[in-house]
Amino acid sequence: MNSNSITSKISHAVFYRLGRFFYFLCGFGIMLMLWYLISLTTKGEMPGPFQTMNVFFDLVLHPFYDYGPNEKGIGNQLVSSLIRVSQGFLMGSVLAIPIGILMGSSKMAMNLLNPMIQILKPVSPLAWFPIGLVAFQSAQTSTVFVIFITSLWPTLINTAFGVSTIPSDHKNVAKAFGFSTYKYVTKILIPYTLPHIITGLRLSIGIAWMVIVAAEMLSGGIGIGFFVWDSWNALSLEKVFSAILIIGLVGFVLDKSFKSLQTRFTYDN
Amino acid sequence: MTTDTNLLTEMEEIKTPVKQPTIIEIKDLKISFKTPKGEYVAVKDINLSIKKGEIVSLIGHSGCGKSTLMNAISGMQMPSSGEVTMNGKKITGAGPDRGIVFQNYSLLPWMNVYKNIYEAVDSALKDKTTAEKKEIVEKNLKMVHLYEHKDKLPKQLSGGMKQRVAIARAFAINPSVLLLDEPFGALDALTKGSMHIELLKLWNLDNRNKTIIMVTHDIEEAIFLSDRVVVMNNGPAATIKSIENVNIARPRNKRTIVDIPAYKEVREKLLTQLMVKSSIDDETVGFEE
Repeated sequence: MNSNSITSKISHAVFYRLGRFFYFLCGFGIMLMLWYLISLTTKGEMPGPFQTMNVFFDLVLHPFYDYGPNEKGIGNQLVSSLIRVSQGFLMGSVLAIPIGILMGSSKMAMNLLNPMIQILKPVSPLAWFPIGLVAFQSAQTSTVFVIFITSLWPTLINTAFGVSTIPSDHKNVAKAFGFSTYKYVTKILIPYTLPHIITGLRLSIGIAWMVIVAAEMLSGGIGIGFFVWDSWNALSLEKVFSAILIIGLVGFVLDKSFKSLQTRFTYDN
Repeated sequence: MTTDTNLLTEMEEIKTPVKQPTIIEIKDLKISFKTPKGEYVAVKDINLSIKKGEIVSLIGHSGCGKSTLMNAISGMQMPSSGEVTMNGKKITGAGPDRGIVFQNYSLLPWMNVYKNIYEAVDSALKDKTTAEKKEIVEKNLKMVHLYEHKDKLPKQLSGGMKQRVAIARAFAINPSVLLLDEPFGALDALTKGSMHIELLKLWNLDNRNKTIIMVTHDIEEAIFLSDRVVVMNNGPAATIKSIENVNIARPRNKRTIVDIPAYKEVREKLLTQLMVKSSIDDETVGFEE
């Protein structure tokens, strides 16, 4: 490859990215305009983008402070939500991945567990909140419990699917060369299933991040969901809009990081 | 390709030992599968004995049970009745005394070339030290001229290179029987030709001690490589139709072999058995009048 084609390749990439960014700006602009119009038609009852931006930057520029139960910075709220999500998500994943592997590799385990999963999966995880309250006697722990339940299903199902679709070619290699169970699991099962597991984790964290807002509205105390509810009670829709934007951005970052993991561990022949 | 593919002959002359013992013995083999529609018999009444150091091809149309028969020898498929023995011992499962080259190479896509071979060696040759295993892997990589590609992932290799990795992997565990399931089926004609030579070279390097059993549907390939060609009937319930000896001295030469009368004779025999019609019947061409 000569230097000329390298530079042209780079400039292509740069133009492509600039183009994407341009579209992003346009889309964002259209949204802001619509928002502004809606705010005008409601005669300011619905705060417009400019009022919201003021509040937003105010929140973002001073994210960490703690002046009592109803006076915490947006950073404190976010961090507490993220901690709960990661606790529930981690525990859910630690349970879901092995069970998924078991279901994928054993027909019996699949037949035994699948009907139960199919029935529990469509239930809104919030329905488990009262159960958590009784079991743990704490609203905060119940929130983690709800996230735990949320994180189970997509990871379970995707892991089981991944394991059950290991190509017979790969299995035959293990048979032909006499791989031990340990080697089969570490050199064939896990590498093949990893992209499926990560897909499951990505779906789980996405749903968990949606559910945490609702769960914290129920649990109260602290967290981004509580912040939304508290702002509504304080009649500050600017804060609600700001929170929506922040929740969206964090969710986007979470999704992107799992997506990049997924690409990292995907191999094709 | 980095190999000396222009060589059309195997390299050195090797004196084949006069009398070799039987290594694989198949007796009254029948393999059937249970299907929702009832029992499906893939192959039956198979009797075949293969001597040590022999190269035998199984040839037949698609779905004639060649691969099933192969799997019975590799131990991947248990017989429904009859038995397959190796050195007098009944085969009850896959084992490192038989090296397999799969139809579609079956390299693990997340491991580089080196690792693909190393993991197989590591599993099959348990009593060797790590240093010995590494040495074996490197030796075999050099043998198929892929040492400089050892850090590449399978997806970065061409079909012929992948096939050589698969062959190196099978050779590396030093099996006494090598099972090749349509090993060159996915390769272009030129690559295929050079792979034939490479395979025979590897066989020669080992003093023609390894038994090679190969599934193919390429008549020329079967004749060029084999001592005997086993022709299978069409399935279901396929049987052995005939066994043809290839009485052509080794080393064989790709270019000149086609002029040897024995080659023409065996090719003719195989063609008549495998092809019902070998030319187009003009009258069946549907020209509208």
